[in-house]
Amino acid sequence: MSDDRIEGYARGLFEIARAEGSIGAVEDELYRFARSFESSDALRSALTDEQIPAAKRLAIVEDLLGGKATPTSTQLISMVVGAGRGRDLPAIIDRLVARASSAQRLELAEVRSAKPLTADQQTRLAAALAKATGKQVNLKCVVDASVIGGVVATVGDTVIDGTVRTRIDQLKSRL
Amino acid sequence: MSALGIAIGLRIAAEGKPDANGELVTSHPLLPESAEIIYGGIASLLIFWAIYKFGGPAIKKGMAARTERIQRELDAAAADRSAAATEAAQIRTAKGDIDGERRRIMAEAEQQAAAVLTDGRARLAAEVADLESRADAEIAAAGARVGDELRAEIARLSIAAVDHIVTGSLDDATHQELIEGFISRVGAAR
Repeated sequence: MSDDRIEGYARGLFEIARAEGSIGAVEDELYRFARSFESSDALRSALTDEQIPAAKRLAIVEDLLGGKATPTSTQLISMVVGAGRGRDLPAIIDRLVARASSAQRLELAEVRSAKPLTADQQTRLAAALAKATGKQVNLKCVVDASVIGGVVATVGDTVIDGTVRTRIDQLKSRL
Repeated sequence: MSALGIAIGLRIAAEGKPDANGELVTSHPLLPESAEIIYGGIASLLIFWAIYKFGGPAIKKGMAARTERIQRELDAAAADRSAAATEAAQIRTAKGDIDGERRRIMAEAEQQAAAVLTDGRARLAAEVADLESRADAEIAAAGARVGDELRAEIARLSIAAVDHIVTGSLDDATHQELIEGFISRVGAAR
């Protein structure tokens, strides 16, 4: 998909979410869904396979998100998948999140951890990242089992890595 | 007196003079009559002169030819002797040369043998040194290789064990501790 089209979809989804008044929750849910979409081959192939009827792909989205995400998030994802743009879903969502962060004058901060962070931990981590980088951050938490333990935070070009995965890799390199 | 003169004289003397009985009688048992001696002498002289006159040149020629032949034979013998002496000298020289050549060949052979021996020893020593060097290098390489393989195997086993051990040892409390530690470190970073 062209960059303009991705930008257009992102802008449209952003405006819808903002109009619904749930931009904060929606962008968070969409961001996590995009990361799951990237990490799961089965989900990616199911939502991008042209041989699977659109109704069935939408049913898969409904099964995955129904009752677990806001209706707005479910409908936005269904709209993109139904339009046959499932392959560009992560790029569209990333643009949407970037737009939302920019609208709030925040810097996007992606945080990956093996276990989900509590609301308190997210608040304290956002404050710590703001202090460390000098920027207010829009924290997006992703549960990623590949980090094994600890946390890695990416704010712009800055990566703060405190994962067990990295330590094990360093140990392996030394070995 | 020649034999012919003597024979003529004896014949005449033997005939002698007839005696009273008509038989020939000589005046002396040994010496012939004087006339007989004269005649015999003259006859002898004539014979000697004839021999000298007619047989002398032939005899002289024959003697000269004989002398010349003998001289030729002597000269040939001398030449043969000289040639034999020369040949003997050459043979002796050749023998001397052969001895010298033999000694030279022997000396050269000994020199070559010594050189071959020295060269062989040097080459052998070099080959032994090279073999020892290569053996040392191979031993060192084998040792290093075994060490590397051992270290690689240990590292492989350690790497395989690390994930399992670390993953197995991470309980919820440890996860939370890691997260809290990360938040504290980030917060203290600036």
